[in-house]
Amino acid sequence: MTIKVLAFAGSPRRNGNSETLLDWVLASMAEDPEVAIEKVPLTEANINICRGCNACEKLNKCIQRDGMDIYHDKIIEADIILLSSPIFCMGIAALPKALIDRMQVFRSRKFVLKLPIVPPERKGKRLGAFLASAGQDWPHVFDAAIPSVKCFYHVIDIRDADISYLMINHVDEKGAIDKHPTAKADATKLGKTMIAELKKRLAA
Amino acid sequence: MTVVVLGISGSPHRHGNTETLLDSFLDGAGSAGGSVEKVILKDLGYSACRGCNACHKDGNCIVKDDALPLFDRMMAADCVAVASPIYSMGITAQLKGFIDRGQFLWARRFVTKTLEFSPEHLARHKGIFISTAGQNWSHVFDGAYPSLTALFHDAGFEYYDNIVANNMDEYKGIKNHPTAMNDAFLKGQQVVAVLEALKKQ
Repeated sequence: MTIKVLAFAGSPRRNGNSETLLDWVLASMAEDPEVAIEKVPLTEANINICRGCNACEKLNKCIQRDGMDIYHDKIIEADIILLSSPIFCMGIAALPKALIDRMQVFRSRKFVLKLPIVPPERKGKRLGAFLASAGQDWPHVFDAAIPSVKCFYHVIDIRDADISYLMINHVDEKGAIDKHPTAKADATKLGKTMIAELKKRLAA
Repeated sequence: MTVVVLGISGSPHRHGNTETLLDSFLDGAGSAGGSVEKVILKDLGYSACRGCNACHKDGNCIVKDDALPLFDRMMAADCVAVASPIYSMGITAQLKGFIDRGQFLWARRFVTKTLEFSPEHLARHKGIFISTAGQNWSHVFDGAYPSLTALFHDAGFEYYDNIVANNMDEYKGIKNHPTAMNDAFLKGQQVVAVLEALKKQ
């Protein structure tokens, strides 16, 4: 049994706080020999923004030819989908927002064309997690990002209850997260918990 | 002195519901004597904020593209109407891309402390958010407001009003909405009158 993990690193800054958080989760997942990880930095993914043309409501595919041609299939195949982003201006960064907006093709498939996203036997057997960092120390700094994250997972058949969140505020400069008292331990634990949960579901 | 009203359209497709609603607001502003301009973000060339924090040193952005002149234009206006449809429960990536580039203004306010807006300045500069959403949920706009708050505050605008209309999927377009177009027109007229009165003080 191979567990496929697809991880989108959404920050425009490579190896910053949100990506470090993601890397900790991935490192803990990678300790399991059955886990196959693909990490995609969105800075290199060539994903254009959604044009809002609604062609996908008829065509069941996007009219744009870019990186999404590859990730569309990978999103369907993955057992676990991770997304990391910093909070910029109280919301998710523009780069991951562009990825989320491009999920419109799945929304059209699911709600307009009423077609399946994953085969029936895989429904309820996919997990997601959102890893975020914010410079602000306000506890509500992540609030506006969450509805878009829920949309992202909802349209690709990962249920609300199957999304985990690890969001660390008050880390701004590169490397600040290394000094956070619990972030690394929480990320490591999250990786382990998600793999264990997924194995349980796949065995069921 | 003429009231300058700048509309910024953050929709990737032209003349859709949101831009049409923005147009109605701008028509109202123009009819009240405002000097009206409109910028279409999709026609500009700007990249996403790199999160490099270079602006935290001297308050300047190192990425030289169309985003910076638009911030100058925006800050020279008396009223800015920023429009975006709701995609996936938030503003478009296009508009978020522009807002994130305002980080240098935030840095000027809070890091280098070289930018400060007086309460009088804020009262004389009004920011308005214009949006439409297909969904009929009343909370569909909630995820958008905090980022608009950040934009308006960092650029020296009072967050004056929202002009929003949900349930577009059911109405089959903004022009079939019973009140939105007219409300936007009236709000355009009103904000110009309010700003004109403030300018005379």
